[in-house]
Amino acid sequence: MVEASVIVLGIMALFALSSTIATYLAITERSLVKAVLYSAVQSTLYALIYYLLMAPDIVLVYVPVSVGLYPAIILMLIKKTEKEEEG
Amino acid sequence: MIDVFTFLFTICMLSIVVNLGISLYGVLYKPSLIKKIISLTIFSDSANITAIIIGYVRWRNPGEIAPPVLLNPNPTLEDIEEFAKVAVDPLPQALVLTAIVIGLAVTLFLVFLTLQIYRFYGTTDVRRIAKLKG
Repeated sequence: MVEASVIVLGIMALFALSSTIATYLAITERSLVKAVLYSAVQSTLYALIYYLLMAPDIVLVYVPVSVGLYPAIILMLIKKTEKEEEG
Repeated sequence: MIDVFTFLFTICMLSIVVNLGISLYGVLYKPSLIKKIISLTIFSDSANITAIIIGYVRWRNPGEIAPPVLLNPNPTLEDIEEFAKVAVDPLPQALVLTAIVIGLAVTLFLVFLTLQIYRFYGTTDVRRIAKLKG
């Protein structure tokens, strides 16, 4: 019989591995809009990890700031400047 | 036999460290200023989550762990003892809460600087900005 805490830790490890993939895609992506979207995915996974690490107060601050505000601000910046990263 | 807890926890910690490395590479070697800002946000988030993982004191009492929230508004001594046994460390959470808000302000400042650089020089590529004169 598998304990519940083992399942929770396994889900946390899965989220951490997925966030590594999302970070890699965000850094290597040539299109800046896609990079911002990948970084938003990574922030969502980090918010879930914060929740599993028993920090609900941080989730309440982190979700609006890092999933909402950062991509919005950087998308506004991309709209005013360049859409693509150069070679 | 390997402890399953330790194995899964090591996977989490290693993923976060790899994230730190990848985002540091992005900050240092990517030419676009916007990509540098994205990498910097990922870097600060990874550093924050490292602090939270250190504050997650599973080795002290495996099994029962709770958020650092006191449910009783007028706690007795026994309540506080029980709280200190069960709850995770609240100090890194307070520090990270502050760091997230400060990071937002710093990112806004960097976004403004990048916008002004684009308006003056017409590019956000650091190699082309470095070649400009005057």
